[in-house]
Amino acid sequence: MRNGGENRGRLLLVILIVSSLFLITLDLRGVNVLDGLRSGTQTALSPFQRAGNVVLTPVKNFVNDITHLGRTRNQIEDLRKQNQKLREQLILRKNQDGEMEQLKSILDLAGTARFKIVSAKVISQGSSLAFTRTITIDAGSGNGIKKNMTVISGNGLVGVVKEVYSNSAIVMLATDPAFKVGVRIAGTQQIGILAGLGSSTANLQLLDNQTTIKVGDILLARGSINAQPFVPGVPVGRVTSVSNAAGAVTQSATVEYFADFGTLGVVSVVVKAPNADPRDALTPVKPVPTPIPTVTVFVTPTPSASPSGN
Amino acid sequence: MLLRRFGITGTIFLLFFVAQEAVVNQLSFPAGGFSIFLILTLLWAALSTPEVAAGVGFGAGFLLDLSPSTSGPLGHWTLILVLMSYAISFLSYGDENKRGNPLSLILMVTLAQVIVLASYLVTGFLLGITATSFAQTLTTIIGSALWTMVVTPLLLPAVAWLHDLAFDSRMRI
Repeated sequence: MRNGGENRGRLLLVILIVSSLFLITLDLRGVNVLDGLRSGTQTALSPFQRAGNVVLTPVKNFVNDITHLGRTRNQIEDLRKQNQKLREQLILRKNQDGEMEQLKSILDLAGTARFKIVSAKVISQGSSLAFTRTITIDAGSGNGIKKNMTVISGNGLVGVVKEVYSNSAIVMLATDPAFKVGVRIAGTQQIGILAGLGSSTANLQLLDNQTTIKVGDILLARGSINAQPFVPGVPVGRVTSVSNAAGAVTQSATVEYFADFGTLGVVSVVVKAPNADPRDALTPVKPVPTPIPTVTVFVTPTPSASPSGN
Repeated sequence: MLLRRFGITGTIFLLFFVAQEAVVNQLSFPAGGFSIFLILTLLWAALSTPEVAAGVGFGAGFLLDLSPSTSGPLGHWTLILVLMSYAISFLSYGDENKRGNPLSLILMVTLAQVIVLASYLVTGFLLGITATSFAQTLTTIIGSALWTMVVTPLLLPAVAWLHDLAFDSRMRI
């Protein structure tokens, strides 16, 4: 009997393994039914994700305030003086202000480039245990969003729309290891390919071995045919270090993204790009250093006895 | 009886899946965080017979494959969780020292979680999924193992109780 049970168990295991392999094969062959399953799951999950976002936002803000205690000590001191109700209102208000600020900077950027955009709230982040960097936004095909559209924040490029559902979409962030974008250096117009590394930095590989890059150079998206997946001219990042490996065919550099991926609350999807390339119009303005007054000391030599001794 | 077991188990896994997607994924935990759904699956497998564990692994893996944040092909998580759930149950089944001892269960689930993530990465690499940097991967795997060690003791009583409810097994942990 025991042997019979073991054999049945093994048979079940084999059937399940074969079924899994069958599913993998079907998916890799691009069977449409399976895409529909994922799309259905996302449609079913998005109300829960929205609800989760609403419930967790005050908690996340609170934790954020705690972790930035040193920076916001004065603000926290003020908050302590208020009662619980006012504190909750303030946190909610703070969140709305942050989102409004993000939205305003996106509109500034999109207005300069004449992009037609659809703004959306970030309702969920992809699990990092899946070794990908994605976010879910609360706008989908119903809002005119399609696959492979550029996603921006007020600071610059955020990523590209990976999957679209009726009322939500998955965005592959520029930090994803699979993310690659053609870029050019503002000013010199040298071109290269920027690849995500899974962190807030990326790796730039120049295409021309005759050109050079330097720390501080600003990168803009080069743009794709029909502006998909990338619209031209979107600020991407700044070169933070240049690698000059001996024997390397082309120069490479480490680039820090302009977008702050840790605080993404509101993003915009570029649904229509202008006919004309904005060129360097979107290049972020470098901060102007505040002049420090210098003190000039004039020294008047005092008359002294002549060395001749007269 | 079978229908009741399936019904209760399916409902529990669905609820944990929604909780994982709608709540846990929204909180940015340092070093990769944890997955209550994976912990539930591995704990459930450790408390079940190998046949049930393989079935549960299949269902749980299929749900994970349907998750919008999953980058691999459908069936990828399913394959890994079928194998790992069967293995964890096969190793602990009949050995009450392992199944009845919370410490050994926690260690077993933590180790299984590490193996699951490593297998997902390796098979993902074979299936053509771009992997992140080695340091990042190592941080995520070690971080998730530590988080699992912290979270599993909190979930264990509830999961054991739910398992008893579904299977009337009266496990003493």
